[in-house]
Amino acid sequence: MIARVGDVVIGVTREVGGIGVLMLQVLRALLPWPSMDARELWRNLYRMGVKSLPIILATAFFSGAILVVQSGIFVRRFGAEGLLGWATGYSTFREIGPILIALMFSGRVGSNNTAELGTMTITEQIDGLRALAIDPIRYLIVPRVTAMMVMLFALTVFGDFVAILGGALLGQVVVGVDTSVFWHSLFSNLGTWDLVHGLVKSVFFGLVISLTSCYFGISVRGGAVGVGRAVNASVVASAIGIMVTDCLLTLLMK
Amino acid sequence: MTIEFRDLHKSFGAQHVLRGLTMTIERGEVFFIIGTSGVGKSVTIKHLVGLLQPDSGEILVDGKPVHGLAEREYYPLRKRLGMVFQHSTLFDSLTVLDNVALPLRKHQRMRMSAAREAAKERLAVVQMERYADRWPAELSSGMRKRVAIARTLTLEPQYVLFDEPTTGLDPVSARRVDEMIKRLQTLDVTSVVVSHDLTSIFTIADRIAFIYQGQAHIIGTPEQLRAADDPIVQQFISGRSDGPMETPGF
Repeated sequence: MIARVGDVVIGVTREVGGIGVLMLQVLRALLPWPSMDARELWRNLYRMGVKSLPIILATAFFSGAILVVQSGIFVRRFGAEGLLGWATGYSTFREIGPILIALMFSGRVGSNNTAELGTMTITEQIDGLRALAIDPIRYLIVPRVTAMMVMLFALTVFGDFVAILGGALLGQVVVGVDTSVFWHSLFSNLGTWDLVHGLVKSVFFGLVISLTSCYFGISVRGGAVGVGRAVNASVVASAIGIMVTDCLLTLLMK
Repeated sequence: MTIEFRDLHKSFGAQHVLRGLTMTIERGEVFFIIGTSGVGKSVTIKHLVGLLQPDSGEILVDGKPVHGLAEREYYPLRKRLGMVFQHSTLFDSLTVLDNVALPLRKHQRMRMSAAREAAKERLAVVQMERYADRWPAELSSGMRKRVAIARTLTLEPQYVLFDEPTTGLDPVSARRVDEMIKRLQTLDVTSVVVSHDLTSIFTIADRIAFIYQGQAHIIGTPEQLRAADDPIVQQFISGRSDGPMETPGF
């Protein structure tokens, strides 16, 4: 029993340490001035961001809508129609938006990233880059980390907007709260900080997902089975990383 | 310009693969490293470009030690010492043309259009210019191998390491790769070829090192190898399943 606990602790420490080392390597690759392969950056911005837009917007719309429908029962019971916009905006901007979008992003982009890098590792494409005197961290990892951070931020901006839109729409149709009341409640009770709070989180979530998915991708061992294991581990570790980061940032920015 | 391995040892866990490998490769020669599967041929050449580090021993290129360097210290060496991997290692996300243009963009600071023009010329040398816009996954293994060779040669290395360049190729494609390797000699390029393709070995090799039990069992010309009065060498050359040879990969 103690041995098993010890194995788990050693395993977690090794993975967290590996992700930390990768972060230092990424930072070192950005010195003395940030430079990266523009083609790789554009390719990743497009496939990670633009291609994720439909699924992220759909998720955001329905999460905003569900939030309003669920809270509608209490809004009616307590006659709190004037608080519906504030409640939806506050929870969406600060928590629901960044968290749900990050989890969707991790499932779609992070897992794909791990699988691609893992396949490159087991087919020696990463060694092939090294043999051509091209730094895999600078060429492959830095553009991916940058693209994920930028695109998760952008997707959260769009997602927040669409979630609120979904909330306002369902608030009118299902709960019977007029959209003008909804918007007034939202704009008069929420400040810029409520929006920025969630957007700051989204940048850190992007960092967590990118480093985790890249780390598990480039440390794959054991062929196709290893790639499957790495993808699984990457998604689980990213989800835990998002939650832990969310908790820390909420405490820091309260 | 020479490559020297001095008393090289390398283990993977309990498996002691290289056990005191010592050999010298001279400038301009086509040097074959042969032996049974799993004997450590690929492991040997991966040490040369720092993809593996020895447990002990020395590796010298042009008299300078090239083991135990930091990753970035290998980059100047890797520009002079190109490697063609067994499975070509073309990048799936780039077209054939962009694969060949990549080292030019990165190391010769060429703009994309100029790098692509230069890459087309390199592809023409290996008769692959018609496939420039294809993706690696759309090519046969022989085609991929030729593109990998073109990509490796873009930086005009002084040494080229070939890891089983003819494995998995049809006989005609294999002989074309052989001719390509032999042609490099006229450009004063030293080729180190890992192979167990006997036709290649006895057609284009200047010298051969036969690796057995982690050491250079015999080093000599193809004629010397053929004439060797050594039952292990003769068993390998004749391809007999019975004999004194231990086969680690079987």
